[in-house]
Amino acid sequence: MMKMTGKAFAKKLFGAKYERLSRTLLIDVIIFWGLYIAGFQVQVAASVRILMLSAFTAGVMWQALSSRDNAVELKHMLMLPHQPQEFVFSYVAVLGAYTVLTKTGLLLAVLLAVSAWKPIEMIGMVISMLHAVLMAAVVYSLRKYWYAGGIWAAAIVSVILFLGSGLLLDLLLFVNGFVAILILRKAEVYAFYQGESEKSHAVRQRKKASLWRYFFRYLSCHKNYMVNTAVMWCVAIVMPYFLRGMAGLSVVPVGFAILSLNTPICILLSCDRDLEQAVRFLPGQKRRFCIPYCLFIFSCNMAADMIFLLSWQMQNGGIAVSLIAGAVFFALQSAVLSVLLEWLYPIRNWKIESDLWHHPRKYVVPVVMLLLAGGASAWPALLYILLALLAVEIPVLLFICGRHPE
Amino acid sequence: MGETLLTVQNLSAWYSEQKRILSGFSFSLAGHEVAGLIGLNGAGKTTFLKVLSGLLPTFRSDGICFCGAPVDFRKQDFKLCRYTVFAEDNSFSYFTFREYLAYVCAAYGKEVTDVSELVQGFHFEEYTDTLLRELSTGNRKKAFLITAFALKPRLLLLDEPVNGLDFQSTEYLYQRILGYKEYGTVLFSSHILESITLTSDRVFVLEDGKIRQTFEGGQINAADIREALHDENDR
Repeated sequence: MMKMTGKAFAKKLFGAKYERLSRTLLIDVIIFWGLYIAGFQVQVAASVRILMLSAFTAGVMWQALSSRDNAVELKHMLMLPHQPQEFVFSYVAVLGAYTVLTKTGLLLAVLLAVSAWKPIEMIGMVISMLHAVLMAAVVYSLRKYWYAGGIWAAAIVSVILFLGSGLLLDLLLFVNGFVAILILRKAEVYAFYQGESEKSHAVRQRKKASLWRYFFRYLSCHKNYMVNTAVMWCVAIVMPYFLRGMAGLSVVPVGFAILSLNTPICILLSCDRDLEQAVRFLPGQKRRFCIPYCLFIFSCNMAADMIFLLSWQMQNGGIAVSLIAGAVFFALQSAVLSVLLEWLYPIRNWKIESDLWHHPRKYVVPVVMLLLAGGASAWPALLYILLALLAVEIPVLLFICGRHPE
Repeated sequence: MGETLLTVQNLSAWYSEQKRILSGFSFSLAGHEVAGLIGLNGAGKTTFLKVLSGLLPTFRSDGICFCGAPVDFRKQDFKLCRYTVFAEDNSFSYFTFREYLAYVCAAYGKEVTDVSELVQGFHFEEYTDTLLRELSTGNRKKAFLITAFALKPRLLLLDEPVNGLDFQSTEYLYQRILGYKEYGTVLFSSHILESITLTSDRVFVLEDGKIRQTFEGGQINAADIREALHDENDR
């Protein structure tokens, strides 16, 4: 039974013939060798490496556990007779394997390629990843005691930072992981099933439809997207402190490009297949849907850029109108490109939401923005050329929307 | 029934090249008629409605005409003439019904009409200002059906419209489908024989992506259609 439960989940996550696993591992190897041969090296402390791997693994595992698609799968599986303990372990094992092999594997490949490490440290890294998987599963199953989970997680982070790395830390993580297994043995299987929310949103009676209201409701119902936006604003506040030492005002466009990294709001159609079907089927959606959507992303980006500029002005001073124009360019251009990508190439082949949140296509626009920012930092006149191009691009796109509204 | 509204000749449609879902599919729809599509699971009913809705680009045909002129299902002119209620639809889930109706009416360039009769008929009064995501499957279906009947397009496509509806709403839906001939044509798919026999002027029995048999007017009776479906199952 345990084998069958595990197989059912594994086939959903890795594909019918586990083809996704071999593909991802091949990509990891290619990235490792590519970076290793390039000889790009940075100094990363062993404790930071352990912390990065642990935090990333736990975060992805949490996303996988709380995925709505998994809830649907779980509903059907839980309806069948099952052994609770076996079910919990096979479920956690498959989600853990998915997290470590398809997500953390990539981070591990990058870390191993760009930083110096000893073979013995590899044991610690593997233990930290497995430990993070178990911890995320335990805290998730006991989320009604979230404060206890929070204290437990904070204690582990403190231990990692305090002990750095070494045999003692490995041993502690191993013991803690064992405790997590003991708790999972007693875990209630239904604790992993996040049923439909019964919370009803009081909505005022409105006879007019506003997509802006729709987008704000969407944002407020997805707490992780809200958190992501709040994190970007916090980054906007502290970034001037880190950037000012680099190259003065010329580095400000790089800040704008980094702040366009609020990617969850840029995959609205990819993550909602029914909405995508509806906007393709209803008439005139290039104009009626895409333009408000573009303006919504622009406003989110622009809000972060304005916080960044205000923070820079307070810390370093010297903000001129040209930089405000630069903020408009980066916020609007990234919004336009994001909407174009969503309309022309939505992400379709995702298995669970977690795939979507780490899909490489999401980072295409921020990478383009970073390249443009790099160019504008090296050659400030480029910003004016880009603004002029944007001034042409927008009317052309609006004209196309008007001519071909379908 | 009026003049020919839609003709489709030798249509093939597929999701992957290896397996054709529709093949050699030809049919025509008259203006102001109700046509029912019935067939076993996998016969191609939903695929055909998806092609007509412009959602499946992988198809080929010897000729498709709407009101006598060649038509592209993805062009604005055709989109403005049709509306589809899908079997399952969770789109625009952060709109309320009223907001969704206003949004769709704006997209079709129409004024929002008084829908109180439809709302009452479908017993939907309590839910008009609730987010669509918070509605049950049946109530969400009602929201899309009310929108469809309020919009009054020339061609109304309904994919399994009865699924999820309660008894009273199903009866009301039959009345509405019958009364729709005043405004345009309804093409709907269903597994429920009763829904087809009670409302349709013509019934198309689908098998392996083709129309195997057509029943018209007085020929439409449950026994004969059931027999046609049994034959299909036995083949």
